[in-house]
Amino acid sequence: MHDEANRYNRVHEKHLLQVDHVSKSFSGLTALLDVSFGIERGHIKALIGPNGAGKTTLLNVISGILSPDSGHVYYREKDLTRLKPHEIAAQGLSRTFQLVRLFTANNAKVLDNLMIGAHLKLKPSFVKSFFLRGAVHHQDNVVRETAYQMLRLVGLERVVVDYSPSSLPFGNQRLLEIARALMSEPEMLLLDEPASGLNDAEVEGFKQLLLTIKKKGITILLVEHNMKLVMDVADEIVVLNFGRKLAEGNCKEISSNQQVIEAYLGSDYINLAGGNLSG
Amino acid sequence: MLFIALFPATLGKISPYYNTVLILVGIYVILAVSLDLLIGFAGQISVGHAAFFALGAYTSGILTAKHGIAPPIALLCGLFVSGLVAWGIGRAVLRLKGYYLAMATLGLNAVIVKLITGFASLTGGASGLLNIPPFRIFGLTLQDHTYYYYFVWGIVILVMTCCLALAKSPFGSTLIAIHSDEEAASTLGIDCPKYKLHVFVISSMLAGVAGSLFAHFMGFIAPDDFDIFTSILILVMLFLGGVGTIYGAALGAAFLKLLPEVTYRFQTYELFFHGLILILVLIFMPKGLLGILTNVKNWLLGSKYLSNPSSLGTDP
Amino acid sequence: MIDLSVLLQFLFSGITLGSVYALIAISLVIVYNVSRVLCFAQGEFFVFGALTMITLTALGIPMWVGFILTIIIVSGLGMVIERLLIRPVQNSSVGMVITMTIAISLCLRGLGLLIWGREAHTLPAFTKSKALAIFGAYLSVQVLWITAAAAIVLLVIWLFFEKTLLGLSMRACAENRLGASLVGISVWKATLFAWAWGAALGALAGIVIAPLIFVRYISGTMPMLKGFTAMAIGGLTTVGSVTAGLLLGIMEAYTVGLISSEFADAIVFSVLILVLLGRSYGILGKTEDGGM
Repeated sequence: MHDEANRYNRVHEKHLLQVDHVSKSFSGLTALLDVSFGIERGHIKALIGPNGAGKTTLLNVISGILSPDSGHVYYREKDLTRLKPHEIAAQGLSRTFQLVRLFTANNAKVLDNLMIGAHLKLKPSFVKSFFLRGAVHHQDNVVRETAYQMLRLVGLERVVVDYSPSSLPFGNQRLLEIARALMSEPEMLLLDEPASGLNDAEVEGFKQLLLTIKKKGITILLVEHNMKLVMDVADEIVVLNFGRKLAEGNCKEISSNQQVIEAYLGSDYINLAGGNLSG
Repeated sequence: MLFIALFPATLGKISPYYNTVLILVGIYVILAVSLDLLIGFAGQISVGHAAFFALGAYTSGILTAKHGIAPPIALLCGLFVSGLVAWGIGRAVLRLKGYYLAMATLGLNAVIVKLITGFASLTGGASGLLNIPPFRIFGLTLQDHTYYYYFVWGIVILVMTCCLALAKSPFGSTLIAIHSDEEAASTLGIDCPKYKLHVFVISSMLAGVAGSLFAHFMGFIAPDDFDIFTSILILVMLFLGGVGTIYGAALGAAFLKLLPEVTYRFQTYELFFHGLILILVLIFMPKGLLGILTNVKNWLLGSKYLSNPSSLGTDP
Repeated sequence: MIDLSVLLQFLFSGITLGSVYALIAISLVIVYNVSRVLCFAQGEFFVFGALTMITLTALGIPMWVGFILTIIIVSGLGMVIERLLIRPVQNSSVGMVITMTIAISLCLRGLGLLIWGREAHTLPAFTKSKALAIFGAYLSVQVLWITAAAAIVLLVIWLFFEKTLLGLSMRACAENRLGASLVGISVWKATLFAWAWGAALGALAGIVIAPLIFVRYISGTMPMLKGFTAMAIGGLTTVGSVTAGLLLGIMEAYTVGLISSEFADAIVFSVLILVLLGRSYGILGKTEDGGM
């Protein structure tokens, strides 16, 4: 029975991504301890928890920026744990960051950011750029079209692509980062607090964007503090606290989970169905 | 690009003395432009470019002077040797960032120069390598400086075209991504170490080409021509002209090589002014001479060419 | 095969060189830890210290006075540079800062050329006494001055950074710039004095070795690079720098003596590269990110 349960944890066919007993500490400080969960293909799973719970660390482990001390990360039943970030991206995982990291060196523009996002599609090389100029040019045009489509998708069609990303208002910068992450046509998207700093109207629009992305068949792991957004879009939620998994389940289960409520606010009861729990 | 094409053609008619100077200008343009790919685009601070300049020059020099190998083949060998060394050491060195990379490349330059000086039997040591024949191609001996001038600048134009093409291509965009944020770039699938290595090798090979051209031009080379001060000079040229634009590098190289012609009387002040000009450029005009010229052009042509409202300086 | 006196002679040379490298390394460490800037112009402070001292002495000023004046002048120079040139680019990318310090180094070198010309200069020894003979090797008294200077410097540094308010605030900045400023420490003052220290130590290194070498306007580059090597080996700490500096100097002296001076330098710089690479692979301790 124990074995069966382990095997269930390790590789569940419907799970596109499987986090398996992942632990990570930094100089004695435990960031993650034995975290396991899976995400079904095509679902939106929210990763929530108080500040410092280890959510971003977990994203960093999944995307390959950090190596876990123990445990594994499986994607489509393939072990990603020791792969480098670019290899993981090549598997079909794309991500955004908590603090937007757009490219601005050398006067890079909005369009440049999107074109770079298509790197996995373009596969540029010195040889190609030098000797196969015609083919590169053609590919370029195709990707450019895709870039414009992507801007339309995220709602940035009115942005002038020749401007620097830093000239965009903050909310639009986030949208641009998401558009960039989508350029490689990923199977799965990891989003790190994409709605933080957005006002209510923007969050509403963002909710629609997430649902649109989901309709395209892309699986999403969403780290968020905005509980209303989470409740509205997430198929499942997993809760972290002090690096440990506290609870996992659908929205109803989580919102009535006593431990989760306590983790966020001590022993005061609040209605998790509404309101923002950040800070 | 038209600008570039016209330039040498008009100057070809000038007296032989200027040909000499302009050949050197051309060589340094190649050096500066190749360094721009590495520093300006990929953001990897290398203060040891002269090491590859030296490798190309000495390989060419030794092969032609001591073994009678045809110059074009020697040039290719020089290119190859530079590239090989860059390949060998690049992976490891490019793991370093910022100051450590700068220091490592400085160290590399110093090591190579010291090794060249040390193996005197092979390289002529501190007193230099003599009797390097002029360039011979297709039976034509480019003894006359005018012919060599066209040859060198032909190569310069070729190099610049290549670098510009690379810069504007997806490869160039990848370098820019690496320059901006390596970690973010890697999450988009960019294999940063690979691309950094590639640009390092390309940049070094071009420096090797410049080295070969230099060796055949001077007829005599010594380790002092390739020390860290030369690397620093190339760096100054790059920043002075406007880093990250290819054209800027060429402009800076031309400016710094032609300046002594105008101010030869003040030769002792040269070093001081190099430093001073660079300081002023860094503080007041980070976009360099090219930036100034662009602003002037925009101003002359009016609001039709208003620069991008959020144009950032080219951050090195 | 090689007798003891020769080996001992190399040892003495090594300690001499090593002390100078240690001093330069410490100066780099202080400046880097507090202001996060690596000063490429450190070699120029070294040269300026030596040449200013030489000039002042040549003018007939007594050595003690000249010494103090030189230190004051060069520290002042360091502070001016920090205020005018480093402050504006403090927060730019590393490339900008590196290029700025290179530019400063060029400027100072050019200035050195203008003021002191291309010739080499030297300083008379601090005390006129015959070299000590130890086991057949000659130990110049100047070497004793150098090691004494280094030891005193270490003591003063320790006192300063442990006991004085300014020193403690500088250490705070080194550890956490933002945190330090949030608790009311004047970061700008700390940085300014870090540069004063850096320049002063560089000058000191130049002054104490001036009697043993010929100093020219370009003499600063090699010591700077080697001082940096010591710093890299020593791991950005004072103690580490001293140990590494001494070891480096001794190693260099033996290589110069037993092989050749060119290869000695090549080896020193290869060590630099290897140490830096080793750090990046995490071999020699914590990985540093080179200031980015």
